[in-house]
Amino acid sequence: MTGKLRPGEARNRRDTVAALLFLLPNFLGFVIFTSGPVIFSLAASFTNWNLQQTVPFRWVGFENYGRLLADPEFHLYAVNTAYFLLGMPLAIAGSLCLAMMLSQKLKGIVVYRTLFYLPSFTSGVALMILWKALYNPDFGPVNAMIDWVTHSLHLSIAAPQWLLSTQNVLGLDVEKVGITAKQLGIGARDAIIIMGIWTAVGGNNMLLYLAALTNVPQELSEAAELDGAGPWQVFRNVTWPQLAPTTFFIVVMSFIGGLQGGFEQARVMTAGGPAGTTTTLAYHIYTKAFEEFQIGYASAVSWVLFALVFAATAINWKFGNREVSY
Amino acid sequence: MRVFFAVTFVVLVGLSLLAWSIRPNVAEPGKTALTWVSDDNPARREQINLFNRLHKDLTLRLDPNNTGMEKVIVQSLAGVGPDLFDCYDTFQLSAYVKSGIAWDVTDELARLGLDPAKQTWKAVQADSIYEGRAYGFGNNVGADAVWFNKSIFDREGIPYPKGPWRWPEFIQLAQRLTHRDANGRATQFGFMCEWWQWLHFVYQFGGRVYSEDGTRCVVDSPETVAAVQLLYDLIYKYKVMPSPVEEAAMATQGGWGSGTITRFGADKGAMALGGRWWLCTLRDYKGLRLGVVECPYSVKRVFRGYGKGTLINKNSPRRQEALKFLIYQAGREYNQLISDQADALGPVVKFAYEPRYLLNPKHPEEDYNVVWRDALERATPDQYSPFINGQVALRLLNKQLDLVKNNQKTAKAAMRDAALQLNREIARGLEQDPELARRYRDITGRTAPGGAQ
Repeated sequence: MTGKLRPGEARNRRDTVAALLFLLPNFLGFVIFTSGPVIFSLAASFTNWNLQQTVPFRWVGFENYGRLLADPEFHLYAVNTAYFLLGMPLAIAGSLCLAMMLSQKLKGIVVYRTLFYLPSFTSGVALMILWKALYNPDFGPVNAMIDWVTHSLHLSIAAPQWLLSTQNVLGLDVEKVGITAKQLGIGARDAIIIMGIWTAVGGNNMLLYLAALTNVPQELSEAAELDGAGPWQVFRNVTWPQLAPTTFFIVVMSFIGGLQGGFEQARVMTAGGPAGTTTTLAYHIYTKAFEEFQIGYASAVSWVLFALVFAATAINWKFGNREVSY
Repeated sequence: MRVFFAVTFVVLVGLSLLAWSIRPNVAEPGKTALTWVSDDNPARREQINLFNRLHKDLTLRLDPNNTGMEKVIVQSLAGVGPDLFDCYDTFQLSAYVKSGIAWDVTDELARLGLDPAKQTWKAVQADSIYEGRAYGFGNNVGADAVWFNKSIFDREGIPYPKGPWRWPEFIQLAQRLTHRDANGRATQFGFMCEWWQWLHFVYQFGGRVYSEDGTRCVVDSPETVAAVQLLYDLIYKYKVMPSPVEEAAMATQGGWGSGTITRFGADKGAMALGGRWWLCTLRDYKGLRLGVVECPYSVKRVFRGYGKGTLINKNSPRRQEALKFLIYQAGREYNQLISDQADALGPVVKFAYEPRYLLNPKHPEEDYNVVWRDALERATPDQYSPFINGQVALRLLNKQLDLVKNNQKTAKAAMRDAALQLNREIARGLEQDPELARRYRDITGRTAPGGAQ
């Protein structure tokens, strides 16, 4: 305890100070632009903050939270958000199938991989405008194909109205949480799900699976084949367990992304309609905060959404993790 | 490694300083730059050029990327807002005033001999005068009438329509002008209009959105229901107007003024409800021969008047310079230009009564300018309630109108639900806002809708 540092310690301290100085700009950026606003929004959620300043600013405790829990619109948009998650299993399964096909050692496979990955680095807005044209009920190629098939098979089935229809495959009601036969069909929500699956199949999930497949020990598959296992058994008993950590990661990330998603689609393709059927919680937050100026209420919705994401992730972690062997 | 980071840091700082020193000047030396947030109507450039020619010490620039009330308010509160911005209705005006970003220019304008309440059209005063105080000056104003395609009428041997006329007469004509192919697909519609124009119908049926004192939503009245029912019937009963599916089938993408204007310009419809400002787009359609007739009416011969005002950002350090733009909007040069461009009508009433307004020498074929002025004389501005957030009201109303338009709900049921929801929203607002509650009590003598005396 002489107060004098040994040469090694002095160097360590200098290195630490230098490291902290180099980290400081990034850390400041994080505090100012990320964690600061996050904490600020939590505080705002307990206020009646309104950009129009008609109401004197005050702390309202949990009033915003109570209000949103009783708000039928919040319930409807939460259901819409959950509905959009229906496409997630299909998108993940599609990514896996595609990754398995693209992991074959074929000539020119890199070209195929690039082609399938193209939608991921194409502008989202451009893709959405393209899909909007594809979904045109009268002259869009999607309905042209459906009309051709139904006509060829002599079926009298009307093609869906896609983005213009409030119908959906579960028959969810438009104005209250519930199911009604009147709404059974295919509509705007399903159109957005299909587009989402198309975008996701060749996206980052496919890349993750592709990378994971290269890490599956070849000798395990070969040993299984020598023991007489067929392709399905090899996949079921060798490949799939080896992919479990990747699948777990993809499921968790897709859940988080899905719960936070739907904003761009609503903004570009549907304006949240028809009749609010494509409004998700993310779009609802934007509407409340920046169109209706109810910043306090919008902040409360944001934090409830965060709680939902957190809970979903925790459940995934708790139960999904059991199947994962590292 | 440490040297590498230090050098990188110094280089980045150096580059930043270089970028700062060579940044482009927003205005020429000795001139003050003003930014105006407005829509990207092609006519806007010429309006700006004329202002810049008349004011050698100023450079006005258009910023079409930050239109939208939310952007203007947030940016202005953050200190990076524009100097001038447009306002499209009383709710927006109230929002700008309540946000504290609209500059009260009543006294400044009075000193300059300007009185928007006396000099401008009533329909545009709603966009610049709030509770007796002027926060800007009208930019342009109009009321809708029925455009008709003369070539289609000539081809079908039908005489051009003349006003004033009533809806039954109009519907018969529109049915004659609607044609469908063997599959039932429309090749030509008799009539086109947008559902956001629904208030045009409401006012002439004698309906209202809010009660006279603004304390209640009354869209469930028989008059308003009848107006929405007519819109529905034009699609589904008389089949003279495109349904949402048919609209989507004709959809065009992009550009200013797309939608019904471009569909009408492309000969898809014989008649369309629209404003004089459509000419900003329709003049570009070669060979399109147009006529205009007053819109048919129902109970009252009134039409919806609408326009926009230009306000000054209270937080702008260039407020006095921006004031010159309002003076410009009150002048003959600007009003003449608006009239020549056909960007609706100029804000000042007297200039629409000069002979020059009726006939533009460059467009002698436009012999219908008197129709627009007559419609504006009968125009009623949009109603407004201080007791509800206009954006919330719009969202709730649009949702119900969407359901009617998509044949999911009857007009009566939709308007009943809309009234219920809006009145619930009004009640909620009163609970939260003591000032609003006091005002409500002063008007009605009650503390809440249906509440105790």
